[in-house]
Amino acid sequence: MLIITIVSIPAFNYSIYDFGDNSFPKVRGQSLFGSPFAFPDVWATVPWVSSLLFVIPAILIITLTTNEFTYRTHRQNIIDGWSRKQFIYVKLFEVFLLSVLTTLVVFLTALYFGFVLNTVPEGVSKTHNMRYLLFYFIEMISYSSIAFLLSTFIRRAGLTMGIFFIYMVFEQFVVGLLRNKYHQNWVDYLPEEVTDKLLPSVFERVLRTTEAKQVWENHIPVYIGLAAVYLTVYCIVTTWKFRKTDL
Amino acid sequence: MDHVSFEVPEGSVFGILGPNGSGKTTLLGIVTDVLKATSGNYTWFGEAASEKSRRQLGTLLETPNFYHYLSGERNLSIAANIKEKDGHDIPRILELVRLAERKHSKFSTYSLGMKQRLAIASCLIGNPPVLVFDEPTNGLDPAGIAEIRQMIRDLAKEGKTIILASHLLDEVEKVCTHVAILQRGKLITAGNVNEVLVNEELVEVSAPDMERLRLALNDFAGVKQIRSYENIFQVYFNNGTPDLSTINQFCFSRGIVLNHLQLKKKSLESKFIEITNNATN
Repeated sequence: MLIITIVSIPAFNYSIYDFGDNSFPKVRGQSLFGSPFAFPDVWATVPWVSSLLFVIPAILIITLTTNEFTYRTHRQNIIDGWSRKQFIYVKLFEVFLLSVLTTLVVFLTALYFGFVLNTVPEGVSKTHNMRYLLFYFIEMISYSSIAFLLSTFIRRAGLTMGIFFIYMVFEQFVVGLLRNKYHQNWVDYLPEEVTDKLLPSVFERVLRTTEAKQVWENHIPVYIGLAAVYLTVYCIVTTWKFRKTDL
Repeated sequence: MDHVSFEVPEGSVFGILGPNGSGKTTLLGIVTDVLKATSGNYTWFGEAASEKSRRQLGTLLETPNFYHYLSGERNLSIAANIKEKDGHDIPRILELVRLAERKHSKFSTYSLGMKQRLAIASCLIGNPPVLVFDEPTNGLDPAGIAEIRQMIRDLAKEGKTIILASHLLDEVEKVCTHVAILQRGKLITAGNVNEVLVNEELVEVSAPDMERLRLALNDFAGVKQIRSYENIFQVYFNNGTPDLSTINQFCFSRGIVLNHLQLKKKSLESKFIEITNNATN
């Protein structure tokens, strides 16, 4: 599962890249619009494409957590001499570690696309836009923490995955409906959407107005701050739950 | 659980005896912090319990809990890590529970008995002074059961304190020095095994006219209880069993000729049932 997670990121990026490369008209071998996989846009494109795969690390977290409940090893670990706090911290560290790992893979993938698959354009900063890596990390750790939170409450793998997906789809649906139909802007601050806002899609980035871009830039600290608040809440709730219940 | 309170003396083999669902595992779950009690407290080694005290225990609670996709040996080294022990004795322990040959196999491929033996092995890591076994012979074949019981006796000889929960009276009687009997979450009795599970004697009598026999026996000095049992009366006495010939003579003097008269030792099984039944009533 870990291998799938690691491999899926460059593989999925490549398939998107390949699709884009073959679908748009080219003039003398050069893409008409300039490739989103070339520096410096690659730093924004690869994290966004990879973030579409959020499900895979989430499944990994759900499997790792519910396995403990299924095999009752969470119980045994406590019996053997871990405190409940220690157990939950180890698990939270696992979530953190996986997010670091996927971010690292995204970083390497972006380097590969930028340097190897595309010609490096003249006179562009190769480090510009690297902040999207941080945004990707924030999104991954938030999603994985939601998956972890649900796992500790539900304890069964299938049901947890089901509810996780349903929640993800449901929030997107609510966000889309309220924002587009009723012009409710607060939906931007829902747990899933707030991190989504940090990673705008390639199309959105290309098509939005300068004004919209400025608004987004101004909101970045708000998004990050809120994401941090949500993350803290997830951690506190999960720890509280695990410390209070019968195992 | 309802007002259960007792102390386990150091160096004893302490049996917790009770029928299925009497609260044995719940009790042990509470003292190992996997279950939360609504009220009450407990101590380990005379101190408030913590994860540190749990590391001084070897505990097998209910079922063997291991990572199914890891080998037996790997599972033991995880347990050793949590207990903060170096695990140098893992090969010796695996030898002891006869799992050395299969130590590289995944836990999921083990038979029920092997899983149980691995769980016992896990308890022995780091040579803890106190061992807690919840139904340790579950799922073992007769040879395995005998082996585990011998092992428990050997461990007791080394001076270890052993807490053994079981619904098997015979098991408790064979290996324990102390016993607590639980039923429906209540502590019925606790103490030295010889005092709690003392063997009682009874006399079985029968005669052609059972009604007259009952009336006569009611007059016999020292009779505690008469139970009717398949055309036989089981007679219990207060202070020691009188000589059988005295009973015979007494009945004969009342004009009753006995056609059955026998001294019986009450089995522990029936003693156990009696203790738990009395508590229910």
